[in-house]
Amino acid sequence: MQRRDLIASSAAFAAASSLPSVSWAQSKAPLKPGKPYAGTELNLLSVVAPQFSAHERKLAEFEVLTGIKVKYQYVPFASTREKLTAELVAQSAQYDMLSVMDVWGPSLYNLFEPINNQIAEKKIDMTRYAGPHLRAARDGNGNGKNILGMPIRGHVQLMFYRKDIFDKLNLKAPNTWDEMIDQGKIIQGKTDLSGVAMYYGKTAGQNLMIWFNYLWGRGGDLLDAKGQPAFNSPAAIAATQDYVDLLLKHKICPPGSATFNETDAVNSVAQGKSAMVPVWWWRYAGLTDAKTSTLKPEQVAYAPLPSFPGKESTTYTNSWFYGINKNSKKKEAAMEFLAWLGDPSVELSVLLDRSLNEVVAVQTANMLNQDVNVRFKAMHLFGAQALRGAKGTPLFSQWPQVSDLLEATINDVVSGRAQVKPAMDEAANRARKILRA
Amino acid sequence: MQERWLKYALLVPALLVVLAMAGFPLVYSLLLSFRQWKLAQSPTPGEWVGSKNYVNLLTDDPEFIESIQATLIFVSADVLVTVAFALGFALLLQRAVRINSFARVLLILPFVMSPALIGISFRFFLNPEYGIVQYLIAEFLPAMQGKVWLADRTLAMIALVASDVWHWAPYMTLVMLGGLASIPKETIEASKIDGANAWQTFRDVTLPQLLPVIGIVVVLKTVFALKAFDTIYTLTNGGPGTSTQTLAYFVYQTAFSYYDMGYAAAAAYVLTALLLVCSIFYARLALAKRRA
Repeated sequence: MQRRDLIASSAAFAAASSLPSVSWAQSKAPLKPGKPYAGTELNLLSVVAPQFSAHERKLAEFEVLTGIKVKYQYVPFASTREKLTAELVAQSAQYDMLSVMDVWGPSLYNLFEPINNQIAEKKIDMTRYAGPHLRAARDGNGNGKNILGMPIRGHVQLMFYRKDIFDKLNLKAPNTWDEMIDQGKIIQGKTDLSGVAMYYGKTAGQNLMIWFNYLWGRGGDLLDAKGQPAFNSPAAIAATQDYVDLLLKHKICPPGSATFNETDAVNSVAQGKSAMVPVWWWRYAGLTDAKTSTLKPEQVAYAPLPSFPGKESTTYTNSWFYGINKNSKKKEAAMEFLAWLGDPSVELSVLLDRSLNEVVAVQTANMLNQDVNVRFKAMHLFGAQALRGAKGTPLFSQWPQVSDLLEATINDVVSGRAQVKPAMDEAANRARKILRA
Repeated sequence: MQERWLKYALLVPALLVVLAMAGFPLVYSLLLSFRQWKLAQSPTPGEWVGSKNYVNLLTDDPEFIESIQATLIFVSADVLVTVAFALGFALLLQRAVRINSFARVLLILPFVMSPALIGISFRFFLNPEYGIVQYLIAEFLPAMQGKVWLADRTLAMIALVASDVWHWAPYMTLVMLGGLASIPKETIEASKIDGANAWQTFRDVTLPQLLPVIGIVVVLKTVFALKAFDTIYTLTNGGPGTSTQTLAYFVYQTAFSYYDMGYAAAAAYVLTALLLVCSIFYARLALAKRRA
């Protein structure tokens, strides 16, 4: 399905309401009968996220069903990996379950309990998760046999744009990166806004997140079949040049994009200074919240990320799973919790909770759900489509080091110090050493 | 005789605490620097690799070499500018007797602020869309208008040095004021009676007597600049590229982003060696001052 077809079909679905509507009030989680773990208390170490706070507020329901109490302890994102590694490497049993981001997985595989048997026993259908999200919870760099946890949080990228400005200038959401450039130039010519807020600064690899889509869209990749750096291939060089040219050549980004991180770029749109920003879907809440944005919900629209002509829209994904600590003394009770939390009804109830503005979903059925897509104006349909073309995050234990290297390289190119080809060649040389180590 | 032993016995608890808190980590990390240890793969240190970590650092790690270069640029600029500002402010404040107490309170304020907070604040000041620095530059230096400070290697380093100078210069001013106060007034008065002008008095009388204090300020500031981390992390994150990635930042990244503890320990010991040299200078200067 091409992007235009997708938009057409989503409009059609909104009118015809042809997607299934699932009742979310009833959990069908495969829990063990007779509350065998009643009285058990579980500790969960989780990254801070409104989605997880929403889960926490529903714990009473789980306690009634199982008699198990769950205590959440939150850690800010910036400290999560450090805390997680310290707990697991020290073989502590303080936390029975821990939240893990996909790219951290490869260095921690041995410290989580595989849950394949429990999944089989409970007949949990794991195909309900989109492929890239399930891959994040598998060992063997995403290709292993063991499943180490339940995917719980996942993101896709969308193009957010100023609907009022686009309508006024009679523009449509860009289908291709070239269209984005054209529209950015028109917007800059006719308004005082910058075309598109990009983020080329150095913050936890954020300047790679859109670059991946350029890389994959051009047919390039990070590593070749032998696991060696391929991000200096001709296709990758062309992709990187396209990516940095948005700022350096076409000048459709705010000058500050050279130092922006993701939040700066979103703020630029929220403050009414830029007309577009390609970013994670969860940013929608912030862009339309009166506390954090000058924009009203009707001013913000979204579409799948642009792609190269004739290519499907892709997305870089970011996935989290909850895994069971190998040293936990309460693994069975922890699995009960994961089975309950992984039931589609729990995620759906959060998505449809009008007191929240939570868009995050990892279960395909919920992403295709009619009520969800009506509420969020087909955002999840776009997400489901983008996930079909997603190649997934790079999963290998040296990735954090390679990521830092690439991040610094792109930042260097954007700052005007280096040209794309020699900079990427040098980065590939250094990455080879990192991968050998 | 008993009293002699008693005083040593009373020192033992304190010595044990110092050994446990400082001695053990120093020795342990030194031993660690000769081992391979990827923390994310093993809870215990791995095999003994001899000097491999050090050899790799010095011969096969361009990022480490770049971090040494960035450290040298940052430290020398930072120390020079801080000392110059501190000396200038101290000389000015020395005369302003009426506002002296008030000024001293004001001077301590930047020093009590968290370096991380200073880094974040400077990042806001330098924000190309709404930062006050951009606004002021547009007003007073139109030729520089539109420059994105943190995207330019030279300007980013200047911003980093400026933030650290803002943090430290006031405190060093207080130290200099103390030094100036200890100079006997008779020597100044004598030089004036001999017909020396203000510059000659400063050059030939004040400065020579202040040199030991300046020396201590230089050494102390060098030590603090060598281990600066928070401001770099929050202001430039080592960028653009790796241009402001100092040795302390390199050690942090290697240890706590890549969990390569053995390699990080070796890099930390290179930093420790630099700090040790500074400390020896400091000790010599301090002793010389005391003897004088």
